[in-house]
This record gives sequence, structure tokens and C-alpha cells, in this order.
Amino acid sequence: MRATLSRDIVLGAIPLILIAAVWQAIVSFGYAPAALLPPPGAVFVRLVHQLGGTDFLAQGGATLLRLFVGFTIAAVLGIGIGLMAAVHRGVDAVVRPLVRVLAPVPKVALYPALLLLLGFDHASKIALVVADALFPILLSTYYGATTIEQKLVWSALAAGTPPHQVLYKVVLPAAMPSILTGCRIALVISCIVVFLAEMISSTDGLGYLLVRAARSFQTVDMFVPLISISLLGLILNALLYGARKVLLRGFPEV
Amino acid sequence: MRPLTMPRDSIANGPPAVPVRAAPPMIAIQGVSQTFKTAGRKDHLAISDINLDIADGAFVSILGPSGCGKSTLLYIVGGFVAPTAGIVKVKDKAITGPGPDRGPVFQEFALFPWKTVLGNVIYGLRQQGVPRAEAEERGHKLLAMVGLKGYEAFYPKELSGGMKQRVAIARTLAYNPSVLLMDEPFGALDAHTRTRLQNDLLDIWERDRKTVLFVTHAVDEAVYLSDKVIVMSRSPGRIKKVVDIDLPRPRRRAELLLDVHYQKYVVDIERLIEDAPEDAVHP
Amino acid sequence: MSAVAGDGTATARIGISIAPFAPLLACLGLLAAWQIGALLLGTDSIPTALDALRAVPDILGDRSGLANILDSIRRMAIGLASAVVVSIPLGLAMGRVPAVASFFNPILMVTYPVPKAALMPVIMLWLGVGDLSKTLVIFLAVTLPIIYHSFEGAKAVEEKMIWSGAAMGMSRLQIMARIVLPAALPEILAGCRTGLVLALITMVTSEMIARKSGAGNILFNALDMGQYDTVFAMIIIIGALGIIFDAAFDRLRRALVAWSDTRQDIPLSFS
Repeated sequence: MRATLSRDIVLGAIPLILIAAVWQAIVSFGYAPAALLPPPGAVFVRLVHQLGGTDFLAQGGATLLRLFVGFTIAAVLGIGIGLMAAVHRGVDAVVRPLVRVLAPVPKVALYPALLLLLGFDHASKIALVVADALFPILLSTYYGATTIEQKLVWSALAAGTPPHQVLYKVVLPAAMPSILTGCRIALVISCIVVFLAEMISSTDGLGYLLVRAARSFQTVDMFVPLISISLLGLILNALLYGARKVLLRGFPEV
Repeated sequence: MRPLTMPRDSIANGPPAVPVRAAPPMIAIQGVSQTFKTAGRKDHLAISDINLDIADGAFVSILGPSGCGKSTLLYIVGGFVAPTAGIVKVKDKAITGPGPDRGPVFQEFALFPWKTVLGNVIYGLRQQGVPRAEAEERGHKLLAMVGLKGYEAFYPKELSGGMKQRVAIARTLAYNPSVLLMDEPFGALDAHTRTRLQNDLLDIWERDRKTVLFVTHAVDEAVYLSDKVIVMSRSPGRIKKVVDIDLPRPRRRAELLLDVHYQKYVVDIERLIEDAPEDAVHP
Repeated sequence: MSAVAGDGTATARIGISIAPFAPLLACLGLLAAWQIGALLLGTDSIPTALDALRAVPDILGDRSGLANILDSIRRMAIGLASAVVVSIPLGLAMGRVPAVASFFNPILMVTYPVPKAALMPVIMLWLGVGDLSKTLVIFLAVTLPIIYHSFEGAKAVEEKMIWSGAAMGMSRLQIMARIVLPAALPEILAGCRTGLVLALITMVTSEMIARKSGAGNILFNALDMGQYDTVFAMIIIIGALGIIFDAAFDRLRRALVAWSDTRQDIPLSFS
């Protein structure tokens, strides 16, 4: 077990190291001018340096705020609507076709409409995050809730659970593995979308930093926000994974 | 399709050997039919006009091939499925839905995976407003009774199939239902575990003599456990015969296997089922 | 609540007869809601649904407008096709050979949350604002989900099916092509479906960032110039493309894996 684990780490590290090495080599041997491709060391140093500055943290904070608010709204709406559609025929009949139509629509294309509707500040970006993160959560909740073992519900009813409580006492916890899978997909999507929204129109946030750097051809500064958003995604993903471990400790490995 | 060997009417009322009781039966199934809508083709009549009285404290098995609607009948008694026609009365009151007077035990265990063993067992008690400390105390006792002392903090996924079913039985016994509804409860277990659980179930039943309605497709299991075996035929599901099992209790499986009466019951019922149309006996 | 409480066992779903038209009704409902909303708001920047719909033929009838959209679709198709060709074999190999999986997993995990369209400014520096950059970005965005789904699909293939193949004398490559690939096909196609919508999204986004041609370009130029009818008409066109592509692919998918009982009619992972 331990041997294969360390072998996996070695194998997995190879491409990461290789990329860094090739990147460094291209710069070092002068194949690409530093203006086009800054050395990885320089990017790293800049990142660490900026993490100490208040301006960068404020920009990151703006991104994080939109991400968090948007994701939370999407989670509440998605889980709520998904559960209702799963247990209620009438809601199902309305929600299913709407989702079928709206899910494959590229939400970024809605961004101009959101800008016109909600203005250029936080609201339009949060709305875009909600639009994009909503469907994975809603769909996974719906599938999770419609595929739960019927006999769990029966067992609870027989034990005296009032029917209106079954939704949150049985259906919600039983669908939790699926819901959390949807949340994980939605979280990564949220990271990507908030960044893109900030690139397209914003005066702050990590995406804006990238565009600002691109305008003045500051390549090092272009890489810093890119790496930051990826790191943010990884960290949030890890947090969610931890939450999943705790919440699903009773479930078989999923 | 050969016609059934016996006219239905004479069977549904049971053989006259059953003593006539003054008290109402624990469960009265009256004219129950269930039709399922199928896509496209005409509706499928799953069970047809079932009439059955089950006395308080009786251990009754419903035996039949797969597809005869025996589980459906159990779900109807449980109140989980509403019958297309007919009513079910428990203690002379028509049922309208599931209730803690009828506790189900399913083949699939249906334990709540997000709750611990103890959490599962005390669920019904907590639901009825029993304070946590008291519920847990009773939970511990029940778990000891089903032989799972020390497993309170485990999650169901950490248990074997037999242990899971023990937890499920304890969970149902916890809220003290008048009737146990058991839906092929040992069908998913290996032969050895099944035998042990059958013995333990009988031990538990001997203590407080709850009414048990037990669905199975295993003839030997039905004969071993029951006072009365309801043999069903399929397409549509009907009661073919009610067989009273007149074997002394408490029963021990090892002794019964050599008992001629037991063997005769098994053989007779096997023949009844063989008589059924098509490949009636499924594994 | 009743669906859970018990009568859902085998009763047929109501509304089967209107089911095929439900998405159409949903579209009409959405347009009606838009129409009413726009009338209530009454601002210049939000045209009514009818006004926007009227602008659609103008864009599609215009030679350069149509050419722009077709350019977009061409880039999308090339990016998607090349991603499919690369990703499926890689994903399958990862699913069946643990060493390949350990080799690629970390780098895929690290690059997963990178917004691929956000690489556009960097890639533009190297490759210019032309087709190559945009197609490359689409390729990058689509590879990950297809690799991931192929990987999961191949991993889940029943070991005994592979043993059966080996017992029949198949080589490793034959087992891959004749057993693993078809067995993993439902999962692979789920990945392709996600990839398809992702390709469309990335296409629009890349054109928003590198404004030279394409549907995204029309959309955002119109926004900048205050031609709101055009903005909303483009939204309708792009949205319709998404719905049409997805529905068409779903047809194909159902035909290819009719034997499988996958019940997910909408993939989970759009982004």
C-alpha cells in the first residue's frame, strides 16, 4: 500500500516537474523572450510578493465574495428546487422542461443581458455565477432524490415520521452524496465563471488584474492571477472534499 | 393456462380447522385488488380480490413465486401502496397510510446510511418524542437482544448483511408495533446466516408473540416459522390455499428437519406450487 | 409529497402525451415571461422578446453576420473533434493502466480549475488573435471532461468482461478497442456531451476576449455600441445553438448506446 502510494506520487510529480523544467529551459536558453514567457521563478516570486500586499488581497477578496455569494445562492436554489421537483409532480412538470431548455444554453452569452439588467457591479457577476452553478447542483439533487431507495422513506413513515418531514429527514440526507458531487462541479464552474466575468467587464477582481496586465503586456502579472484562481479553486475543492468526508462518513465510498 | 385446481372461494375463507374467534382479527384484508398501469399495453392486474383475516399473535407467511404480488400485498397492509380496490383493517380500523402500529422489515434492510447503528434503532423512538437518554437506553437493550452489543457507534456500511438485518429488526421492534411486516427479510443472506436469523427471530417472537406477516418464496422457511402459510398463485395474484402448520412450538430447525410432519408440509406445499402455471418457482 | 409517500410504485407518469412538447412550451413560457418583464421594465436597454426575435433574421440574413457565426462553429467543431480524438484514448488508457493514471492525474487535477478561456490573453501573445489561438483554447477546455469521463468509464468496466476477452485470445489492444471502449461508451458520450456545451461556451468567451470575428464578437460589439436588439437577438441565437447541438447529440447518443440504461438525460457538468 505504502509502496504504491509513493510510486503514485513520484509518477504524478513527473509531468508537473517536467512542465516547470521545460518552461524554465525555454526561457533560460533564450527560445522565448521573457516578455512573452516569464520564467516560472519570477511568477512565483511575484505571487508571493503580491500576497503580502493589500491591493492584491483586496482584488482577490472581491473575487472571493462574488464566488461565495453566487455559489451559496445557487446551492440553496438548486437543492431546494431539485428536492421539490423530485417529490412533487406539479413542480416536476414545470421544472423538468425548463431545465432541459436552460441547462444547455451557454450562460456566458447571457452576461450582456445581466449587465444591462443588473449593472456593472457585483450583482451581474454574482447572477452569472448563480446561472452557471445552479444547474449542476439542481440536476444532481434531482437525480439523487429521485433514485433514493423507496424503502428508506417507507421505513421512516412507518416509524411515525410525518409525511411533510420526510423531505428533510430522509430525502435530503439520502441524496447528500449526489448533491455534494453536484456542488463540487458547481464550485469549479463558479471559479471559472467569476474570473471570466471579471475579465469581460470589471474594475476589480482577479480577472480584471489579468486583463489590466495584458493591456500593458506585463506577462508576469498575467500569470499571477491565473495561478491564483487555480490555487483558489484547488483550496476550495479541498475544503469541500473535507466537508464531504465528514458529512458522508456513513455512506459507502462514492 | 390450466385452470386452478381448486375453486377460489372455498380456499379464501380458510379451512374450517381455524377456531372461530369472537375478537376481531388483528388484520383484516377485505377484497383487496391492485392494478398497475403499464406503458402502452393494458393494465396489469397484480393481485386480485384477496380476502384474509390474521389473528392477533399469529405468525403468518405469504408464500408464492416471484411476480405473484405477495410483496405488493404486504406493502398494501403497510399502507405504503394504496390498493386499487378493497380495504385493510388493523384492529378493526381501516388503514389510511403507514403507521407505527405496523413495522416493516425489508429484504434491502433500508437502514439510514447517515445514521449510526444506535441512531437507526432509536429513530422511531425519537420520532415519537421519547427523550434521547431514554431512547438510547432502550436502543442499547434492543441491540443486546439482537446480539449486536458493542456495535452502537458503527455505521451500517461497516456491518455484514446479517448484522444489518439484525439492526433493521431492532429498529422496527424499537417503536413496538403490533404487527411486524417482513418482506423476504432473509432473502439476501447466505444460507448459514439465514438459518441463524430464522432461529433468533423465532426466539424474539416467542417472547412477546407479535403478529407477524412474513413474505417469502422459500417453502421450508415458511413452514418452519409459521402458524399458517398462505400459498399464492400468480397472474393475477390470488390466494391458492391456506395451510395451517400444526407443529409444536418452540421449534428447533435441526429437529424439524427429521420430523415427518414437517417434511409432509414442505412436500405438499411444493406440489401446490408446482401445480401453478408456467415456471412458477423462482430461485 | 405523494410521490414519495407511496403511490409512485408503478403508476404511469401523468402528462405523457404532452411530454414531447414540454421543452417547446418551456421556451414559449420563457419568451412570454421575458416579453412581460421587458414591457413592465420599459427601459431602452431591455428590448421585448418580440423585438429581439425580429432582429434574428437581420443577423442571419446579413452576409458577414452569418459568416461570423459559421466561423465560430467551424472553430468549435475543429477544437471539439481534435479534443475527442486525443482525450478518449488517453482517458481509456488511464482507466485501465494504473501507472498512466498516476502519471496524468495530478496534472489534470491542478489544471482543472484553470479557466481555459482566461488563457486567451496569454495564448494570443504567442499565437496571435487568429483561428489557431481560439481553436486551441476550445481544445484545452474540452479535453478535461472527456478525459475524465472516459477514465471513469474505463475504470468501471467489469473485470470479468476483460478476463473473458483475454480468455478468448484477444490482445491488450483488442481488449481496449472491443471491450473497454464499447463498455465505457455511455460514460464517454456523457463526457462528449458536456464537452460539446463547453466548446460552445469557450467559443463565445474566447471571442469576447479576442474581438476579431465570431458570434461572441457580434454580441459584445453590439453591447458596446448600444444596439440592444442585436445583443438580445445574439443571445437567442447562441442559446438556440446550445439547445439544438445538445438535442442533436442526445439523439446520436441514444442511438449509439440504446442498450445501456443510463437515465441521465441532461449531463451534470456544464460550465
